[in-house]
Amino acid sequence: MNEHVVRLEGAGRSFGASTALTGVDLTIRAGERVAVLGASGAGKSTLLALLNGSLQPSEGSVELFGAATAGLPARTRRGLQRRVGTVSQGLDLIEQVRVLHNVNAGRLAEWGTPRALASLVWPHPDERALGALEAVGLGWAVHERTERLSGGERQRVAIARLLIQRPDLVLADEPVASLDPTRAAEVLGLLGRATDSRGTLVVTLHQPQLARDHCTRAIGLREGRLVFDTPIADLASHLLDELYARA
Amino acid sequence: MTDLVEVARHDRDPTAGPDRAGRPPSSCRVTGRQVALRRGAGALIVLLPLTWALQRALPQGGDIVNRGGVPLIGDLLGKAWSPRLDGEFLEVVVDAAVTTLAFAALGTAGALVIGLLGGLVLSDVAWARRPPWPVRTVRTGLRGALVAIRSIHELVWALLLVSVLGLDPLVAVLAIALPFGAQTAQVFGDTFDALPTRALRALRDAGAPAAPAVAFALLPPAGPLMLSYAFYRFECAVRSTVLLGAVGVGGLGQELVVSLSSRNWDEVWTLVAAVIVLSAVVDAWSGRLRTDMAVASCSEWSAGDAGGAAGTGGRRPGSRWARWSAIAAAPGLVVAWFASGVSLSGLTSERTRMLAGRLLDDLVPPALPRGGAGEVTAAVLDTLAMAVLAMAIAVLITLVVSPWAVAVRRGTGPPGGLAMRSLRWISWLVARIVLLVLRSVPPTVWAVIALLALFPGVLPGALALGVYTGGVLGRLVAESWESVSPAPREALVRTGVPGAVATVAAVVPASAQQLVTFTLYRFEICVRETAVVGIVGAAGLGRLLAENLNFFRFPVVMTLLIASFAVSVASEVASRRLRRAIRA
Repeated sequence: MNEHVVRLEGAGRSFGASTALTGVDLTIRAGERVAVLGASGAGKSTLLALLNGSLQPSEGSVELFGAATAGLPARTRRGLQRRVGTVSQGLDLIEQVRVLHNVNAGRLAEWGTPRALASLVWPHPDERALGALEAVGLGWAVHERTERLSGGERQRVAIARLLIQRPDLVLADEPVASLDPTRAAEVLGLLGRATDSRGTLVVTLHQPQLARDHCTRAIGLREGRLVFDTPIADLASHLLDELYARA
Repeated sequence: MTDLVEVARHDRDPTAGPDRAGRPPSSCRVTGRQVALRRGAGALIVLLPLTWALQRALPQGGDIVNRGGVPLIGDLLGKAWSPRLDGEFLEVVVDAAVTTLAFAALGTAGALVIGLLGGLVLSDVAWARRPPWPVRTVRTGLRGALVAIRSIHELVWALLLVSVLGLDPLVAVLAIALPFGAQTAQVFGDTFDALPTRALRALRDAGAPAAPAVAFALLPPAGPLMLSYAFYRFECAVRSTVLLGAVGVGGLGQELVVSLSSRNWDEVWTLVAAVIVLSAVVDAWSGRLRTDMAVASCSEWSAGDAGGAAGTGGRRPGSRWARWSAIAAAPGLVVAWFASGVSLSGLTSERTRMLAGRLLDDLVPPALPRGGAGEVTAAVLDTLAMAVLAMAIAVLITLVVSPWAVAVRRGTGPPGGLAMRSLRWISWLVARIVLLVLRSVPPTVWAVIALLALFPGVLPGALALGVYTGGVLGRLVAESWESVSPAPREALVRTGVPGAVATVAAVVPASAQQLVTFTLYRFEICVRETAVVGIVGAAGLGRLLAENLNFFRFPVVMTLLIASFAVSVASEVASRRLRRAIRA
C-alpha cells in the first residue's frame, strides 16, 4: 500500500509581490527519498516550509498524510507536525543547554506539557536518548554544553534530535552544504537511518552525485517552478544543465 | 554612577573560549554527576549569601518600620497630582537642568581627554614595538592608578574634592571626569588593541613619526566606536551629576535634596519629573546615535561585546544624526563652560594649595575609627549585605517587568487581533516607562524616601539601591533578550510542541544566561554604589565615610577608602571567577 505522505496540487507561495513558488504538483509516497535540486533562490526552502506546515500555500493545496494543512485547528495541525522532522540550515539548537536537552527537544511534543517541563529541570538520560546520541557518534557528549561543540558535532546533535522524534517524514535543508565529501556522505547516511524503511526523506542538495548515491528520486526547481521530476536513475546531465543555466 | 561598562571588557580571556577544532573528544567529557554538582553549587552560591544578608538586614525583635515616618510617605504620595508649577519655581528648575547638563557635558569632555591619552598609553598598538622600560614602568603604575581612581565612586570623589575646593562648580566636573576618565582609558585602550594593526605598521614602516601615524591609522577606524561611547558616557554623566547634588554642588540633584529635606513634596514631584524628562531625552538621543552607527547597544557595552565591532568600525559612520551630534559638541561645550560658571582659578589658588597639602598630609598614615577595627568590619559586612539584597530586589523587578519591556518583533507574536496587539504594545510602553522612572530617580532620593518609613540600616539602603538597580538591570536585560534568536523556539513549534512549552524550553535558557551575566556585572557596580545610599544615612562604608568626612577625620577616611577599594576589588574578582565558571 503506497500511502501518500505529501500531495501538492498547484501549490505556490508568494511573499507580497514576489513569488517564491508557483503551480507545483507533487506527490511523495512513503519510503521515497527525494532530492530537491536547484540554484539558490529557486524556491527549495519555501517548498520545505510548505511541507512541514510552517508556511501555508497562497495558491493551490498542500496535503500532509492525507489532510490539507490550510485551516486546520491548532491541535490537529500540531498532531501532523509531530510526524514531520526538520533539520534547517541554522540547525536551531538551543545553545545554552546541555546536549541531552537538545536531543530530548525532539520528543517534547510526544511527552505533553507536564513531563516536558519536568525534563527541563531534571533530564534523565534514558536509553532512547543515549541510543540516539550513540548512533550519531556523540555518546560522550551527553552532558556537554551545546555551544561548546564544533559545527559538525552540532549538526549531529540536530540529527540525534530527529532520530528521537521518529518522524514519518524527514525534511533536511542543505544538510551537507558546508561539509567535506566524506562527512557529507556520513550525514546523508544518518538521515537515511532516521527514516526507517517506511520513512520518507526530502532533502535539498547542490551535489547531483550525492543525490544519486542516497536518493531514489530527484525533482528540479527553477525560479519557483517544478522543471523535472524523475527517478534517480534517469537524472541526466542535460536536466541539470538546464536547471543551473543562467536565465 | 551608571557605569554600565566597567570591568567587562578587559576580562575577555582569549584562551577561555572553546577550542572548536582539533580537540580530542575525551578532553571535555562532562558527566551527569558533574552537572548535578554544579547545579547544587550554583544554588548554594545564590542561597547562602541571600540568607545571610537577610539575617543581617532584619534586626532581631526590633522594629523595622518607623511608624512616625509613615504619614510622611502619605504626604509625599498625596502631592503626586499637585506638583509645584508656578513660574518662579519652574525658572529654578530650568536653571538647575541647564546646570546639570553643563556639568555633565564638561565632565564627559574631561573624561574623554583623560581616556584618549590614557588609552593611547595603555594600548599596545600605539607603541610600534615593545616600549622601553621607563614607559613600561609608567604604564604599570598608570594601570594601577586608573583601577584605584575608578574604584572610588564619583560621589565620594565629590566629597573629597569639596573639602579641598569648597563648593566650587569645578568639584562636579572633576568628580565626573576623574572616575569616568579612568574607565574610558580602559575602554579606549582595549578598543585600540582590538583594531587591525596593518595600516599603522605600514605608515610606520614608511617612516611616519609616531603621533601622526597614530592619528591617521588608529583614530579613524576607532572613531565611530569612540563617538558612540562618548555619548553613552554623557548619558551616564547626566545621572551622576544629578546624584552629586547630594553634596551640594548645584543642578537638579541639589534642588531635589533641598526640597526633600525641607519636605516640600510638591517641589519634589516637579523636580523628579524634570529629572525623568531630562534622562529620557538624553537616553533617546544617545540611543538613536548608537543605533544609527550600528556600533553597540547599552547591553553590549556593559557585557563588553562592543570590541567585536571595533574591527569593522561602524557600518554607517556618516549618519547625519551622528555627524550633527559630533559637530554640535564643540559649541555645546563652550556654552556649557559659561553656563556652569566653572573656572580653573580655583585649582591654583593659595587656599586650594594649602588645603590640598593639609589633606594629603592628613591622609597618611591611615587610622582606625573610634569603634576600632570592629566598626570597619561591621561596615564592610553591611556594605556586602546591602549589595546582595539590592541585587535580589533588582532581579525580582527585572523578572516581573522586563518580559513586557522586550520590543515586539515584527511579523511574529501571537496571531491575535488588533486588540491583542495594542494591548501588547501598551504593556511594552508601560514597562519601559516604569524602568525609566526607576533608574532616572537617583538612588539618593529612593534612599531618603526609604529612610522616611524605615529605621536607618541595611534594609532601607538595599531597598533604595535595589529599586534603582532594578531599573538599570531591567533595561539591560530586556535589550539583550531582544537579541535572543527566535529560531530554536520556532523549530520546536514546527514539530508540534505547544507554544508555551516551546518558549520555556528554547527561550528561557538563553534569557536566563543573559540575566545571570548581567546580574553579576551589576553586582560589582552595586557594591561600589552602596557608598551612595550610605552617604545619605543608610548603612555601610559610605555612611561611615560621610560621618568621618564631616568631622575632617582624614586618617580614618583613608582607612575607609582602602577598605572600599579592597571590597570592590574582591567582589570584582569573585564575580569574574563566577562568570568564567559559568561559561565552562
